[in-house]
Order: sequence, then C-alpha cells, then structure tokens
Amino acid sequence: MSLAARKLQNSPDIPATPDVQPVENRRILVVDDEVSIGQGIKSLLSPDKDNVIPFRKSSRSSEASAAPVARISYELVVVTSPSQALVEIEKSVKENKPFAMGFFDVLLGADIDGIELVKRAQALDPNLYAVFVTAYHDRSVDSINEYLGADKSDRWDYINKPFTDGEIIQKARQVTSLWNLQRMKEWHEEKLYEAQKRLLQNERVNTVAAVGRSVAHEFGNLLMQIVGHAELAVMKNEPQRMKEALDTILKASDTATNVLSRFKKLAQGGDHRMKKNLVNLYFPVDEAFDLMGYQLKKFQVQIVKEKWDQVLIEANHHALVQVFMNVLINAVHAMPDGGQVHVSLTKPTPETARISFRDTGSGIPEEILPKVTEALFTTKGSKGSGLGLAICKEIIEIEHGGEFTIQNHTAGGVEVVLTLPTRQEPQEEPGEDHHEP
Amino acid sequence: MSLKLERMTIMIVDDDDVVRKIIMEHLQSFGFKNFLEARDGTEAFRFVVDQIQRIDLIISDWEMPRTDGLTFLRAVRAHKHRTDTPFIMVTSQQTNERMKISSAKQHQVDAYIVKPFRGETLREKVFQVLFAAEKKNNDKGIAS
Repeated sequence: MSLAARKLQNSPDIPATPDVQPVENRRILVVDDEVSIGQGIKSLLSPDKDNVIPFRKSSRSSEASAAPVARISYELVVVTSPSQALVEIEKSVKENKPFAMGFFDVLLGADIDGIELVKRAQALDPNLYAVFVTAYHDRSVDSINEYLGADKSDRWDYINKPFTDGEIIQKARQVTSLWNLQRMKEWHEEKLYEAQKRLLQNERVNTVAAVGRSVAHEFGNLLMQIVGHAELAVMKNEPQRMKEALDTILKASDTATNVLSRFKKLAQGGDHRMKKNLVNLYFPVDEAFDLMGYQLKKFQVQIVKEKWDQVLIEANHHALVQVFMNVLINAVHAMPDGGQVHVSLTKPTPETARISFRDTGSGIPEEILPKVTEALFTTKGSKGSGLGLAICKEIIEIEHGGEFTIQNHTAGGVEVVLTLPTRQEPQEEPGEDHHEP
Repeated sequence: MSLKLERMTIMIVDDDDVVRKIIMEHLQSFGFKNFLEARDGTEAFRFVVDQIQRIDLIISDWEMPRTDGLTFLRAVRAHKHRTDTPFIMVTSQQTNERMKISSAKQHQVDAYIVKPFRGETLREKVFQVLFAAEKKNNDKGIAS
C-alpha cells in the first residue's frame, strides 16, 4: 500500500498529499578519496563559489572553456570515505533532505569500493541515483547491474575518468532532473489516487441516493395503498370491506417495513464493509433484486433464476449487495427496451462459489470491454461516474479475494461472472447479517 | 356553473394497480362514472390520439415504466385536440420534488398531488381544475 493510501485510511476526509508540488531537489553527494577531485566537482556545480578549477577539456569536442555562465547552482556535500558517505546519507534521510544523486568514485582506498557503497547507500535511500566515476574497467555493466539488483537498474550510471567539466555538469543536470521528475510523478500519482478514493466514496453515496429515490417512490405507493384503503373502508363502513382493507394495509405495511430495513442496512453498509460473516449467497442476491425491484419493473427486466444452489461463503453481506446492485443497474441500462437477466448461483468446487448474471442486451463492443472495470471509464456520459464496475471489481477481488470478470456471452448480451472463495462449512444458520427471505 | 359528473370521462394512469383502483373508487364516491385506465404513458396515449374519445381529465402518475408522466404530459400537450385537457400529476415525495414540479408547470400541468394523499385532497384538486377548465371554455364561448 502506498503512503498516500495509508494516510487515507487513517483520515479519509483530510487530503494526505500536500497540494503544493514538491520543491526541486539539487542536493548532490560526492564521494572521492582524492580531495582535489571532490572539491573540483563542487566548484564546478556550485558556481557561486568563484574558485572554478576547470578539469581537462575534452579532446573529443570543441568544448568552450570560457568563464562560467549562469548555471543552476547545486548544493554539494563532499566526503572522502565510504563511512562518511553513509553517515551523510543516513542524516539526509532522517532530516528529510535527501540527496538527488551522488558521484561515487569506484576505487576508494577503503575496505569497500564505490559499488558496494552504492548498494549500502541505496538500502538507506532507495531513491538515490548514483553515478560511478571510474577509470577501473574490470567489471561489466551487467555484473554491476546484477550486483546492485534489477530493481535498481535505472538508478545508476557511470562516467569515465578522466572526465570533462561538461560531462559532470550534464550528468548532474540529467540525473537530478530524473530524480525530481520521479518525485513529481509520485506526487501526481498520489494526488490521483486520493481523488479516485474520494470518488469511490462518493459513488457509494450515489448508489445509496439512487436507491433512496426508488425507495421514496415505493413508499409513496405503499402509503397510498394504506391511506386509500383505510379511507375508503371507513367511508363505505361494511364489515367485509373493512376486513379486506385491513388485510391489504397489513400487507403493504410489511412490504414497507422490509424495504425500509433493507435500505437502512445498505446505507449503513459502509461502516463495517470489511466485516465478514458466513453468508448464504441467496440472501444478498435476493436483497439486490428487492432493492432493484422498482427499476427492474420500470424497465421491464425479468429475472430468470437458472441454477439456484445453496452456497455458504465467508463474505460481507452489504458489500455483496452493492456489487449485485451495480451489476443489475448496468444490465438494466444495457436493455432500455426490457429483457431478461439470467442468474445462476453455483458451487463448482468446494472452495469456490460462482454467481453469474447474463443480460439479453446487445453486449459490449470488444474494443472497450477491457476498460469497463477501470475506474473513471463510462459509456453513460455525464450520467455515469465510471466507478460502478470498478468498485465491484475492488470489492470482489481485493476485499474478498475473488475474481470479477465481464465478457460478451456467446448467446448474446453481457455476462458478469463473480467467483468467490467459500469456506467449507456444513449447513448452518446464516450469520447475523441475514434477514428472512 | 355546474359540472355533469356522470357524463364526464376521467383517465387514470398509474403502473400500480392498487393505487389506480383507489383513485377510481375515490372518484366514484365524488360522483364520476366513466373511467379510462392505463398502466403507463404509452398505453394512455392510445386513448389520447383517439379523437372521438371523450377525456375530461387526466390523472397521471409521474414515475412509470416505459413512458413516464412528464413525457406523457408533453405528448398530450402536443396533440392538437388535447392542448387544454386538464392534467393532474401524481408523484411520490422526493427531495427533488420541487424541481420536478416546476418543470411540469412549464408544460402546463394543471395541478399536482403528492402521494400518499387523502380523498379530500383529490376532491379539491379535481374540482379545482375541472371548474377552471369549464370557466375557460365558457369564456372562449362568450368571446367567439
């Protein structure tokens, strides 16, 4: 988990990454046992010091040796031994003033050479870029790469002795800018991650709000039945009519109670999303049908239960309801003129539960199919946040260790298959998350 | 000014059968005798386009499958014989209710009722729009 993600978990409402972009880092470490070389590099890269000692000019180019022009000034720390270098690096990490890069002499006249020093330095500060300064060629770049590790292969470079001023200046420019670009990229990624996380939270609220609207409509009708029957029965004042009215009223009240309790559970779901109980998959699937009842009816979508096995799994009931609802919402949107959703609930192996939803819509164009579970992808224009299926995938795969796949079925329409790990358990009373079917 | 209730035809559009029956029973208790029933705007529109079909008042739910109340209202108002037919919109209470009602007003809905409602409320709204419609017709008659 990234740092940003950890911060977010602790305080979801407070932005974790500073809004200000990271400041450019121009700190450079120079490690050379020859004091004059270290100081030479320092005077070259810190032009505010006027003791510029030019190094050997390149014989390969017509490099100008004129007085130093206005250049970026770097902050240099020059040391002569590996132990001093490690102390400086440790201090830089502790004080949160990391070095962007270091020039490392290879033959340091100490117990360890420059390559070993870089290995230890990068263990202290994995972001540190290293440039080896060497006249020593008995190690190939491949063997150095192997020694430092493949994960560090882009974190080092080398320069041959004797070097020119230009080579040092240009390496410093390139490598420090690489370090800074890397930090900038991480900063942007963290900002993006936080924004996505916030959107995911909003999507939950939106789902609840959407269901809330259909619950309001359902309640309007149920209360209409209750009020209407009561009033008409009182008006007619006939015993038989009274009895019929009371029966209808009780039935409508029961339905209203169920709708309300399910809605409450959905709305509260976010508080204990990760809590898992033994769930009979029948219940969350059925609850999603109930909550979607109005939409299904409105768009004339029929539910066809193909296989309906009893499957117990360890899962979070409310999170699953949310997934099934999102899948159903997508199916309904895919069939504006009505259709069917074929649902099957099976246990292909003792360790897996499989739920599939297949609609009879026109399917998803193959070219966009791989993108539909990506966050922020939507075909619904401003109506869709593009997070529904991304959340489903997250709930199934990350929170439950299952698999979420979406594909076009050979018989037409879209098939969403959810595979969830189950716990092998004998028939048992469902956990506390359940309600009567 | 008097309304001949027993000669009037009232159209009730609602996808909920029970709610439709309740509205009809209330209307019967007020003295109306002729009704047209439809489950959604599409079904209802078949009566609207039938020019010899008498329709004195439309009471329509907002939230319905296929063609909802607002789409139906627009279609009614777009039909040359029904531009002035009294229309009462029925809707369930929602947070965006005001917005919806105001958008219905732009399409000349004559009254709206929020579910659940009592018979008395229905009576008030029905007679309010029917008297207003009759007055409008009479004024037209005098003017011409």
